[in-house]
Amino acid sequence: MIDNKNSRRSFLGKAAAAVGVIAAAGYVKTLISGAASPTAGVAEKYTNDATQQEKALMENRLVIMTDAEKTQRLDELLNCHYKELS
Amino acid sequence: MSEENNVKMEESADLDKGRRDFLKYVCTSSAAALVVASESSAAAVEAADDSDAEMTVTEFFQGHFVLMSDEEKKQAIARLEKRYTAKYGKKTTVSDVAAPEGVLFGYALDISKCIGCRRCVHACVEENNQSREGSVIQWIQVMKIPKGNLSFSADKLENGYPEKSQFGDYGVQVGGNAYSPAGLTTEGAQSYYQDETVPDKDFFYMPVQCQQCEKPPCVKACPVRATFRDHAGVVLIDYNWCIGCRMCQLACPYQARRFNWGEPSLPAEEMNPKTHYFGNRPRMRGVMEKCTFCVQRTREGRNPACLEACPVGARKFGNLLDPESDVRKVLATKRVFRFKEEYGTYPKFFYYIG
Repeated sequence: MIDNKNSRRSFLGKAAAAVGVIAAAGYVKTLISGAASPTAGVAEKYTNDATQQEKALMENRLVIMTDAEKTQRLDELLNCHYKELS
Repeated sequence: MSEENNVKMEESADLDKGRRDFLKYVCTSSAAALVVASESSAAAVEAADDSDAEMTVTEFFQGHFVLMSDEEKKQAIARLEKRYTAKYGKKTTVSDVAAPEGVLFGYALDISKCIGCRRCVHACVEENNQSREGSVIQWIQVMKIPKGNLSFSADKLENGYPEKSQFGDYGVQVGGNAYSPAGLTTEGAQSYYQDETVPDKDFFYMPVQCQQCEKPPCVKACPVRATFRDHAGVVLIDYNWCIGCRMCQLACPYQARRFNWGEPSLPAEEMNPKTHYFGNRPRMRGVMEKCTFCVQRTREGRNPACLEACPVGARKFGNLLDPESDVRKVLATKRVFRFKEEYGTYPKFFYYIG
């Protein structure tokens, strides 16, 4: 008496279905990754980056350092450089 | 008879069980192989031929360059040299010369001299194999700032200091005051000006690039440590280890990082074949890039390309540990700016007035 639920054929069927699901998942993943960066939108993304960069740079303020500040800055840089990294 | 039958049935059941287990293992390992293959094939799909595909897959599984053994480094470099030479049709070298000892690189730029000609930008693009038409990437951005934003009178410089008290000097603002700052504001500036002639008499120019911070926020933000600071103080990127998450771009207050959204466009005839692994070697889609102080040049004792291209000598480069270097002399004798000081990043790029 062959148990249909536990036969070799049904097992192979399940195994084949599992492999099929994994392959389909891989394909869908490739499709989704591809859709995330379509060629048409790439130029727009470069432009967005540039606009964002320009906007950030517009909000700057540079102030002249005093002699004491310059010395302090240099000391801090050199101290940081000579400090052992943890 | 019935006992014999029972024994046979048990043997048969054991055989079936063994076969079933075997089939299970085969199916599980096939599924695992499928997953790995789908990942690696994505990298190999764009390869031009079989040998190229093989190298691309090997690169896909490559580790962090800094952590590689000498032998692995040699192999990685040989792979890249072979691929670039084949792709661009010219003998390409990829160096991995280490940063010199006892050096801390610094840069200074005189904004009173800069004429906004953008020769530094073009020299940088050519030297560092940056992407050209379509997906343009430029590591240096030149800002054109109205002259009204600049004020340097000595009176205003002194105005910002609060009176000293018996408890000490608790100054908050240095240079100017809230109504009239003694310094420079970039309000109203443009970075994509298209002037036929420069300089414009009503403007001055300020090129911005990676500030090579001593405490770089981009390095802290990188989840895989693909970007790091070498012992000469230059912040570098292992392009093969970068996962393209753009966290470093978000973290950089100077907006100095550029992302390759698409496959970079680098014409073979314009490609600079003398490259460095962490510097100007051609990049790929989905990785970050930025100024490296021309690591391929400076690690060999040369000056960065932008400095050499500057027609007015506005740029100075040198070793901050050497008191006789140009940068240290600038710091000692010129009026130097604080630039986004509040971030505590300790940039090693200084703007000054000569």
